[in-house]
Amino acid sequence: MLNIRDISIKSKLVLMQVFTSVMVLGLCFAAFIISDIKGYKERKTDSMISLANVIGLNSISAIDFLDNDAAKAILGDLRKISPDVVHATILDNKGNIFATYSKNGTGTYPFPRVQANKKFEFVRNHLLVYNTIINDNEITGTVCLRVELTELNAIKKQKYQIAYILLIVGLGVAFLIALAIQPYISKRLLSLVSIMNQVSKTGDYSKHVVVEGKDEITALSLVFNNLMDQIQESHKKKDEFIGIASHELKTPLTSIKAYLQVLDSIENNQPNKQYIEKALENVNKLQQLLLDLLDVSKIQSGQLQLNINEFNIDTLIDETIASSQIVSPNHQIVREGKPVNQVISADKQRIEQVLINLLSNATKYSPGAKKVILYTAKTVSAIIVGVKDFGIGIPKKEQSKVFERFYRTKELSKHHISGFGLGLYICRDIIERHKGKIWIESDGKGSVFYFSLPLQSSVAAAPSA
Amino acid sequence: MLKRLLFIILILTLGKSSGRAQSMEGEYNLKAAFVYNFTRYINWGPFVPENEFIIGIVGQSSIYEPLEEIAKTKTYNDKKIVIRQFNKAEDITFCNILYISHNNSIPLYSIFTKINPGTLTISEEQGYAQLGTAFNFVLIKDKLRFESNIRALNSAGLKASSQLLKLAIIVE
Repeated sequence: MLNIRDISIKSKLVLMQVFTSVMVLGLCFAAFIISDIKGYKERKTDSMISLANVIGLNSISAIDFLDNDAAKAILGDLRKISPDVVHATILDNKGNIFATYSKNGTGTYPFPRVQANKKFEFVRNHLLVYNTIINDNEITGTVCLRVELTELNAIKKQKYQIAYILLIVGLGVAFLIALAIQPYISKRLLSLVSIMNQVSKTGDYSKHVVVEGKDEITALSLVFNNLMDQIQESHKKKDEFIGIASHELKTPLTSIKAYLQVLDSIENNQPNKQYIEKALENVNKLQQLLLDLLDVSKIQSGQLQLNINEFNIDTLIDETIASSQIVSPNHQIVREGKPVNQVISADKQRIEQVLINLLSNATKYSPGAKKVILYTAKTVSAIIVGVKDFGIGIPKKEQSKVFERFYRTKELSKHHISGFGLGLYICRDIIERHKGKIWIESDGKGSVFYFSLPLQSSVAAAPSA
Repeated sequence: MLKRLLFIILILTLGKSSGRAQSMEGEYNLKAAFVYNFTRYINWGPFVPENEFIIGIVGQSSIYEPLEEIAKTKTYNDKKIVIRQFNKAEDITFCNILYISHNNSIPLYSIFTKINPGTLTISEEQGYAQLGTAFNFVLIKDKLRFESNIRALNSAGLKASSQLLKLAIIVE
């Protein structure tokens, strides 16, 4: 069953116009054809009644003097006068056949019993006419004619043909007009939809729709633009707040950390030292979070800058694995693939941040697994690094979203694994600033996060935000 | 009106049997009806009767009774129809229609001498139309038809309608 809602507005508009035109044209044609046919029938009936009347008047004497042959001769003249008449009969006043006529010379047509007030009727494409012969105020007999409506069929055929042709032409014209008109409505709607899609995909809320005209779509566009402005404004405020808040939190936290470190170094008694270490551990976590927030804030405001220097990527990777191994003693971090042994120009600290992030994610999100693998590979133009975990994986439809700000997969929320969903966002930004790419491959048995760094790096020191 | 209708029905019923050999009685009923019907198609012009419409019969004929019947119920233009019978030529007086039966011994010429303009002559003898009667009944294929002598009609000062003449066998 075709649902009207499943049809696009474009098709609806075209259909509507075409349907309306066909309806109107059809009704008009029907009215014209019906009135034409009716007119023809009336004229034919009138002329045939007159003819029957004349025949009747001419037959009075023949009936009076019982001269069947004379009456037959009168009817015989029909062949010349009115070839449309196929059968004719003169009945006497008792309804008995007095004389008959048949165009092709044989057979009599059994006219139905004449009713007093009926002068004509249409029976199967033929007109039957009954005309009583009145002489000296007496009914002498009846003239019955059976008239072929060949002309009517010809007229019908002709009219139908004209109607069909005009209907098709009208349909075509209506279709073309609808096609010409519909872009004014559907094109604008579609452009609005396409911009909305872009915005939803890229998160670029600065996009605006071109506003023109004064109709409902214009109103929709205006509302959309306003909405975009509001979103942009609220984003801006949120970013500002994150920036200010994390900055304001950072100073006292640094101070707390410093005092805790002092305490840690002078305290040797248990359980005090253990408490201090626990506190320090959490302060570190908090500090990392604040650093992430600050990074995000910088990314948003375009203040994140790369500090480019040359270093060997292998060394960085090995160092990072070593330091991550200490933080995550439950997993074994294994390096696979050939060492690339490549000196690259990049922000060493930031690349390290990316590696730490990916490794910590890999361990954090595969709590049951024992192993994390770090691949390295080198192509003609780039170095590729992959971090593989053996966790639950990320569903296909969520894969594109994991690099978005504050995005956390549904599985994470279910398993109460903490995090802001900022790490991968920062990673993506850092890699993209290095003109590299970051992507994910995942199935039910785990995920691999890859990033590539171009070898002929032309990384600008400070790409614009 | 109703009676007239019944009469027509009567003659049409008779007419139905016209295809077959007609009995004497049937034949004269029909002839009587025809005679009456002639009055509808003949214009007597200045000789239109003033009081009564007279139909005369020359000789003894079976047409007398049916004509009498008609005279009882019918009129000519609201004038009473009167039937008279003449057995001798001298008896013949003015009639609107003079029916010359074949059952008489009076020579035709002596009848003609008694006829005045305004009299429609009807006969029923082979060849009489050629001899000068306006109409003459004949049987053709067992059907009652009539011959017409237009000159006789004209000389009698009468006019027959074309509707009547087209049914007649014109002899002159």
